[in-house]
Amino acid sequence: MTTDTPSLIRRGVTFLAAHRRAIARLTAWSAVEAAHTFAMGYALAKALDGGFLAGKPGEGLAWLGLAALAVVVGAFGTGRTYRGVAALVEPLRDRLVGRVVTRALREADGAAVSRLTHQVEIARDTFAGLVMVSRSFVFTAAGALVGLCLLAPVLLVVVAPPLVLGLGLFLATLRPLARRQETFLATDEAIAQSLGEVSGGLRDITAGGAEPYVREQTGALVDAEFRASLALARWSVLRVVALAVAGRLPLVLLLVTTPWLLDRGVTPGALVGALAYLTQSLLPALQALVHGLGASGSRLAVVIRRLTDGPPLPPPPAVEWAPPESSPAAVELRGVTFSYGEHAEPVLRDLDLVVPVGGRLAVVGPSGVGKSTLAGLVAGLLEPGSGEVRVAGGRAGRVLIPQEAYVFSGTLADNLGYLRPDGVPDHELHAAADVLAMTELVDRLGGFGAPVTPAELSAGERQRIALARAYLAPARIAVLDEATCHLDAEAEARVESAFARRTDGTLIVIAHRMGSARRADRVLVMDGARTVLGTHEELLGESELYRDLTAVVRPDRLGSTP
Amino acid sequence: MVWTESARGPRLDGRGRERRPGQARGKHARTSPRAAGDQLLLDTARHSAARALTLTLLGLASTAVALALPAALGHTLDLLLARRGGASGWVLLCTALICAPAALDALDGLLAGTTTARATARLRHRLLCHVLAAGPRATARFAPGDLVTRLVGNAADAGTAPGTLAGAASSVVAPLGGIVALGLIDPWLAVAFLAGAPLLALLLRALARASSDCVAQYQRLQGDIAGRLVEAVGGARTIAAAGTADRERDRVLEPLPALSGQGHRMWRVQGRAAAQAVTVVPLLQIAVLAVAGLRLNQGLLSVGDLLAASRYAVLATGIGMLVGHLNAAVRARTAAGRLADVLSVPLPPYGPDVRRLPPGDGTLELRGVGAVRGGRHILRDLDLVVPGGTSLAVVGRSGTGKSVLAALAGRLADPDSGVVTLDGVPLPRLGHDELRRAVGYAFERPALLGGTIGGTVAFGVSDPGPDAVAAAARAACADGFVRRLPRGYATPCAEAPLSGGEAQRLGLARAFAHAGRVLILDDATSSLDTVTEHEVATALVRDVAARTRLVVAHRASTAARADAVAWLEGGRVRAVGTHESLWRCAAYRAVFGG
Repeated sequence: MTTDTPSLIRRGVTFLAAHRRAIARLTAWSAVEAAHTFAMGYALAKALDGGFLAGKPGEGLAWLGLAALAVVVGAFGTGRTYRGVAALVEPLRDRLVGRVVTRALREADGAAVSRLTHQVEIARDTFAGLVMVSRSFVFTAAGALVGLCLLAPVLLVVVAPPLVLGLGLFLATLRPLARRQETFLATDEAIAQSLGEVSGGLRDITAGGAEPYVREQTGALVDAEFRASLALARWSVLRVVALAVAGRLPLVLLLVTTPWLLDRGVTPGALVGALAYLTQSLLPALQALVHGLGASGSRLAVVIRRLTDGPPLPPPPAVEWAPPESSPAAVELRGVTFSYGEHAEPVLRDLDLVVPVGGRLAVVGPSGVGKSTLAGLVAGLLEPGSGEVRVAGGRAGRVLIPQEAYVFSGTLADNLGYLRPDGVPDHELHAAADVLAMTELVDRLGGFGAPVTPAELSAGERQRIALARAYLAPARIAVLDEATCHLDAEAEARVESAFARRTDGTLIVIAHRMGSARRADRVLVMDGARTVLGTHEELLGESELYRDLTAVVRPDRLGSTP
Repeated sequence: MVWTESARGPRLDGRGRERRPGQARGKHARTSPRAAGDQLLLDTARHSAARALTLTLLGLASTAVALALPAALGHTLDLLLARRGGASGWVLLCTALICAPAALDALDGLLAGTTTARATARLRHRLLCHVLAAGPRATARFAPGDLVTRLVGNAADAGTAPGTLAGAASSVVAPLGGIVALGLIDPWLAVAFLAGAPLLALLLRALARASSDCVAQYQRLQGDIAGRLVEAVGGARTIAAAGTADRERDRVLEPLPALSGQGHRMWRVQGRAAAQAVTVVPLLQIAVLAVAGLRLNQGLLSVGDLLAASRYAVLATGIGMLVGHLNAAVRARTAAGRLADVLSVPLPPYGPDVRRLPPGDGTLELRGVGAVRGGRHILRDLDLVVPGGTSLAVVGRSGTGKSVLAALAGRLADPDSGVVTLDGVPLPRLGHDELRRAVGYAFERPALLGGTIGGTVAFGVSDPGPDAVAAAARAACADGFVRRLPRGYATPCAEAPLSGGEAQRLGLARAFAHAGRVLILDDATSSLDTVTEHEVATALVRDVAARTRLVVAHRASTAARADAVAWLEGGRVRAVGTHESLWRCAAYRAVFGG
């Protein structure tokens, strides 16, 4: 965690450097805001010395009026500093949102939504708080110190040393405190993760009777966080000490040295002004700094790191798709082996497969055996560990329709023309709707120009839209990965033949029902990493699994496999 | 992501007496969880009563010191300015009053931190125990992500309650004390302050309201982006295959400029509110100072009095702190309500753990069993016996209640009517450990907990030991691939991505390693290839202790291997017989024909 701190700092510096102008504006308005701090002490001193104590109440009131004016001007500055903060914070938020979305799309990560709505906002709030608090302290302190210096430079001799000492002490506690804070956040995260696993696995925990074990394991994490909070609370005591030295000690020193100061010509008004600076400006600003910086600095670091780090974004798969040389094959796999982990058993082993142009292949096998993996390889979503996958026409040559149909909020025409950036002529839309038997759906939705709300569609309707989109795509090779599982058998048959009838239309169907296999030219049976290719009739004779899946069990085999 | 009760319907609730709280929810949905939440808060506060009381006293002491300091400071200044003797005692007193808050704050910070931490940890332990005891009944009511939010975020919010309550007293006393002190110095000072105070009140109200519209707009746009992202993530395979990720990114981020615009607007509104705040408070102070100056000029007040008045005016405006306290209290209360929701999930009662199962061969019997899910009768009046030492396959089209039947058979849920017995003992009469030692489960998609690969197999009511783990893994055909992992059984799960078939085999091994009498396999071999499935089936008969098996099956060959088949249709048993005899019926064959 600590090793990448420099990179985080570097990124922070780069970010701030890119927003120099915003920082300059923020600084300028902060200086205006500090006028108010300055005036509250200085004008008070003058009002007393030159006015109320000198028997000239009018002059005293005038000075106070001036202070009131400075308050209004300063308040204007305060309002403007918020805009300055916005000019820093909003771009950071935009950038984080962009990153989160990009990553979520790459990794298909559903948890990203919580990052988007929750963690990005934490980052935004803490960053804003950090900027506000540190900026406010610097300018309040400057306003007060300038005021003290103008009232009587000798006041600085009394006030500055403890202030500097206390700030030094505070800065020294920053690192250990940040480390405690990070420990705390890490334990918090560990709890969230463990509880996530527990909540997802409650059925298995109950089934195994492992409640006491889990209670102990996860309970230990709760206790670890408890201990981390205690450590944090103990370290916070040191912050109070630093605050006392920087903010309270000057006050005591001022009182103790009052006779000495009076001897050096410091006026009663200047003393009251100095006390006002100390109690009303410096102490509150210090309090805000100490409480704000200690916690939020490390929180921001942790959140930003979590949002932006992680495994480096993989480059988008930019595989060059060589068309199979001079062969009439649409899809060709040569010695393809694929496994999900370095040590995992291969899902596919040394697979050779050729699907000719215009061919129709069905892939069958038990669930989880790797049929979708094969679809992913053909679609270019996965790269084989070894061997070669060639697809005629490359990326533009094939289209994948997965089981989970993608429909987005937009018009029906937008959804159907998704793979045709140049748009789809109306007559083609109508023809596709006709062929795929979805004119009724189109009418119900209110025509092609009507907006669709994905959540209001049934799973079957979403699949129809996704299928029509693929049908309209220029790609001639269609991979249907259980893309019709929410349609009835009749509609499924209709869809498949519509795809197969397209000119040069090559169809690969990951079969949900065995009807798909009966309609295909060839069937690939996947049984573990072993595969058998044949026609329906051949496989009925050759593959026991195929018979099992098609529910054609030879009576003589019944009971022979206990 | 919050599953509301009405959207999901009462699920997995127990029998008559357990269901009642669930039914009551509909009627008292608005009042009862809140009352339960308040009860929880009260209980939390009571548990840390001594600490909360100490915190309150510390807070009050700190306030008292803060109220005493301006007066003492003023008097000391007067003495010092007059250059009369006797000031040193007052300087000492001031020093004490200046330093005391530091000590009090340190104690307060330490105690408040530990009190909150303690209360939070206590709430989390309590909720964790409850959720674990409720088991799948909890996830039936709350989505897993929602549960996590409640146990992590809401518990932390509710945990602040004792500290917040303790701080409330002093946040009232300080501003009131400030006004009284102003009046004591000179009644006109209090008048000046109170005359301006309505302005302050107006301001506080404006502060609360100003940003709420912006926030709503901002959250709507944020929700829009999140919604688009959810859609796109759901279509990830389509997008990746089409190579349209960049276009999708632009589409998802389309509302971002508007979001940014609302964000800027929010800051502007906040800036305006802040500008008003930093105007009103100092102006009030200046008004008090002006009156004090005039009285000073008349010789009615001293310089020290003026100094004190200026400080008291600031203390008196501290009423804003109260708003913060109220907000924190409201948040803690809402959070407690959400925790009470979780705690209202009824727990299944278990028999005393001393009760042992009578000796038996593991005969499982369901008598008159019915189950209702989401208002729909999934199972009705179902009778089924699995004689000890035999295997029964449960088949049927999807949605006929096979998995619900499997859940009832080993008491992952209780039936809404009827009774399930094991060797003659109704399952609810069995102690927790006794039941879980007797019955084992394996699922289609097992959740693998336990940290390491070996740990996932050992995961259960008790650790069977490494030898038994390895034996069970061998029976489930998992030993081979586990040994090829870099650290074998000690490999952390996070370092070993598993295919569906591998995960199923570990899930089977886990069940084999623990079950004493009955195994319930809910589609637990669906991802195995035929050869592996054969091997597992053979090993199951040869090497596994639990002889009675209830197998939810989708494949004909699995059903064929069982001693008998129960064919479910419409929540009832249509027929029980051997696979061979049932196969003659075309409707039965159609179950597998898919």
